[in-house]
Amino acid sequence: MKTLTKLFALCALTLSLFVGANASAATFTFTAIPDADESQLRTRFEQVALYLSKQLGVEVKYVPVKSYSAAVTAFRNNQVQLAWFGGLSGVQARRLVPGSQAIAQGYEDQFFKSYFIAHYSTGLALSERFPDITDKTFTFGSKGSTSGRLMPQYYIEQHLKQKPQQAFKRVGFSGDHNRTIVQVQSGTYQVGAVNYKVWESALAAGKIDTNKVKVIWQSPTYPDYQWTIRADVEANFGAGFTDKVQAALLNMNSPELLKSFPRSAFVKAQNKDFQPVEDVAKQIGLID
Amino acid sequence: MSQPKQLQPIPSLKNPQYALGYWQKVTLSIWLIALIILPFADIEIVNFDPFLELTRMANGLVTPDFFATEYLWQAIMQTVNFAIIGVCLGLVLGAPLALIYQHPLISSCCAFLRAIHEIFWALLFLQVFGLSPLTGILAISIPFAATFARVFHDIINQSSDSPLESIDSRADMISRFTYGKIAQVMPQLMSYTRYRFECALRSSAVLGFIGMPTLGFYMETAFRQGNYSEGAALLMIFIALIGTIRYWCPPKLLGVYLVIACVTLIDIPHIDSSLLVRFITHDILPPAIANAATLAEVQWSSLTAWFSALFLEQAVPGAIATITLALLALAATHFISLSAHMMASKHLWPAPLTWLGRFSLLIGRSVPEYILAFIFLMLLGPSMLPAIIALAIHNGCVIAYLVVKQSNAIAPQEMQISRLNQFNYHIMPTIYPSMMALMFYRFEIIVRETAVFGILGIMTLGFYIDSNFSEIRYSNALILIICTALLNVAIDIISRRLLKFEQTSQASC
Amino acid sequence: MLTLANLNLHYDKTAGANTRKKTGKKKRSTQVIFDLSLTINEGEKVAIIGPSGAGKSSLLHHIYQELTTRAALCSQRQGLVDNLSIYHNIFMGALARHHWLFNLVNLMRPFKQNLHDIAVLCQQLELDQPLTKKVDQLSGGQRQRVALARALYQQQDIFIGDEPFSALDPLMTSRLLNTVLAQHNSVIMVIHDRALAMSAFDRVIALDKGRLILDSQQQSIDQEQITALYQTSAIA
Repeated sequence: MKTLTKLFALCALTLSLFVGANASAATFTFTAIPDADESQLRTRFEQVALYLSKQLGVEVKYVPVKSYSAAVTAFRNNQVQLAWFGGLSGVQARRLVPGSQAIAQGYEDQFFKSYFIAHYSTGLALSERFPDITDKTFTFGSKGSTSGRLMPQYYIEQHLKQKPQQAFKRVGFSGDHNRTIVQVQSGTYQVGAVNYKVWESALAAGKIDTNKVKVIWQSPTYPDYQWTIRADVEANFGAGFTDKVQAALLNMNSPELLKSFPRSAFVKAQNKDFQPVEDVAKQIGLID
Repeated sequence: MSQPKQLQPIPSLKNPQYALGYWQKVTLSIWLIALIILPFADIEIVNFDPFLELTRMANGLVTPDFFATEYLWQAIMQTVNFAIIGVCLGLVLGAPLALIYQHPLISSCCAFLRAIHEIFWALLFLQVFGLSPLTGILAISIPFAATFARVFHDIINQSSDSPLESIDSRADMISRFTYGKIAQVMPQLMSYTRYRFECALRSSAVLGFIGMPTLGFYMETAFRQGNYSEGAALLMIFIALIGTIRYWCPPKLLGVYLVIACVTLIDIPHIDSSLLVRFITHDILPPAIANAATLAEVQWSSLTAWFSALFLEQAVPGAIATITLALLALAATHFISLSAHMMASKHLWPAPLTWLGRFSLLIGRSVPEYILAFIFLMLLGPSMLPAIIALAIHNGCVIAYLVVKQSNAIAPQEMQISRLNQFNYHIMPTIYPSMMALMFYRFEIIVRETAVFGILGIMTLGFYIDSNFSEIRYSNALILIICTALLNVAIDIISRRLLKFEQTSQASC
Repeated sequence: MLTLANLNLHYDKTAGANTRKKTGKKKRSTQVIFDLSLTINEGEKVAIIGPSGAGKSSLLHHIYQELTTRAALCSQRQGLVDNLSIYHNIFMGALARHHWLFNLVNLMRPFKQNLHDIAVLCQQLELDQPLTKKVDQLSGGQRQRVALARALYQQQDIFIGDEPFSALDPLMTSRLLNTVLAQHNSVIMVIHDRALAMSAFDRVIALDKGRLILDSQQQSIDQEQITALYQTSAIA
């Protein structure tokens, strides 16, 4: 009985703490969608935060997120003001936050592509033409990924004239590019679509047995990842803040920092660069 | 599959035929249902060479890397914090509800709230509170409050009325109730709360899968990215945390821990009420209503089309898959509970072997289903099978753990019979009804848990809900969540109708 | 004080408790009291005797229901709360005398005055156990005295007891019986010991198979008649 009353009192205390707690002074917060190598993700991105903080003269914080949609939500709710989005998540975010702009993208993102990879037992080999993968089992990456879901699905529908669910024996979402590689390599799925950057880093790291899994097709290029910033930062952090952030990103040339993304450099970007992604997303029904 | 040896009480002399007992019928029907739906279920084994990946997993397991995880200490702290605050808040909300739970409105509301998985609560709160600890705490405390309300109500109801009888009838309600009822069942309430705390730790870790800063956050990443050494280390830490609760969190220190939890909780970001308003008045409304300026402009035809498409293309197939998966998992859970109980019963084995058995039960119930399914997915391919096995192992071990606690308390009969005979003729018949009751209570949980596998790509309702969240279609997600909850409530009502036995829910999760 | 006219009671098997059904019969209930008429006056000390299964307890509980606001019941089921101490179990008798807030605080931290009163009461009942002891650690006789103490602590006008001394030795029984009789204006008690019933009470009522067969108020009865009652019942 005693313990119970104590408990009640303390719970009341907790509640009052909640009410009392409030946000601290303005901190510029950013996030990055989880993508390639996620080990020590926070530690690495805190380096980026430190760099930005030095360049911008405000406190900069990094918030880790678990999924594409969580990043979009955080951006929409003004929990983060700057985000490293994929093509699709950037389009979703900018539709939800009017006035927000894409300000920079990776050099590689101007001509990004997806690889279709297949298990050796399918007997498929690298070809220029879209491979005959009807009635195979197929896995995408994450549901919200551009290179692992949106673009591959678009090309599948283009070439096979069917929705993936009808075209394939089984469709899966591995949730992550690395997972896609592992699952196709182990034969769990026969074919998969993967971000070419992730494939190449995994190949370089020796994680791929090319006797078991190989690239069978590469997609045409499309614009992908980009930095997007909210419009209201000008009001909260001073006029010209957007330009300052853009400059800081474009000047980020330490290989150590760039490795986190992993990109060779950042170049300018604007909203209309991503029109193709938005059109594709509308066409396959991912956005209304 | 082994059928339990059920004892018929006394065979009637007039009727030499040996009719099936109640529990035999129930058991046989579980397996019959499973056999009937088995041909329709997707349980294909497709895998060519999982061995490379399995070797890497095994390798990771024997070389756990405890230093690979950044902010490890913080993750452990937050896991415990969420669980403690979540349980306490759940108690504050749920305990009073237990007193008025007999009201049909309250009990159906609670059933509805309970039916929604913590992950979905968190995904909903994420839209309003963002990545705030409030999201995680509320996601734990709301379904927990509903569970506390139900179980506390059951415990109080099952208590004896005789103390009340001898209390002066002129004494006021509150005094009569506290002295006559609450004081009587206090130890059960406490022990159930302690058990729920273990469940809360698990839920807290699972919330990490969607972004809360708990152990699950890093665990999911480690497994998904194939850093098995890191994953194995996190898993070991987590199992150790659960296995040693009674040493580091005795009930007396709970208050102290609660204060520590409140102090060390990560900062709660500013709560923006406009987000709540936007969420309710825009996000969760069907697009046809949200986009219309006035009610008169709403295009009802597009609204109906939207709803029927959602219902036919997502809710119905999702519900069918959910039920199929849950029923198959129920039969498999039955098998696992029986064998796991046998493995850890002190009536069958000498003490050191039962410790081993109990340790495997600890592992079985502590490893999140998600991770189990993840491993079996590599082994068996992407069908329903990994989910069935994961659910069966997890729930079977929870049931066996609770049943072993009860069965070890049974005094062995003083007869000169072998251990096995003793087990089959004395222990099993005594314990079987409560084991089955636990299992049917667990069925509700199995249905809820199918949600987690949706996120792993098995096409249950959870899959469609997750898809809608990732496509930022909250209205669709909400409708599907409501469908899931209604499905659970319906299952609850049906199973109560079909099975007329006292639910010994006091030890259930 | 109490008048019963043509009382019929049924025992409901499904619920396992007494239900007072004067009219109509439930499927699975058996009748335990048949056409019983009885008047008990203020200040009377009444003993109820009879072989087991005669319907004594049912009658007693019925009487308690009728007198509930004035009577303290010491039932055979005792109704002790195992998780509470001797002190709290006895204090339960006084719940009606205090505000609920007082009762709640007392549950956590006993008040001095009550502690003292209950210590005195325990001494009277020869219960020499620490008051903080949980009742589940007591012997049968000790538990019975805790239940008795609780009924006494209600400080009611009427005492209704259902074999409150069954687990005690004869000497202690007569000492405690005297205490009970001295502290209450009226006493109605089912008692096992026929000799004690005859000697200590004003009036003895005997029941057999749910019917009132002897009442010392209407007829004088002697020991032999009662013995005969128990024997015939045993044969039947």
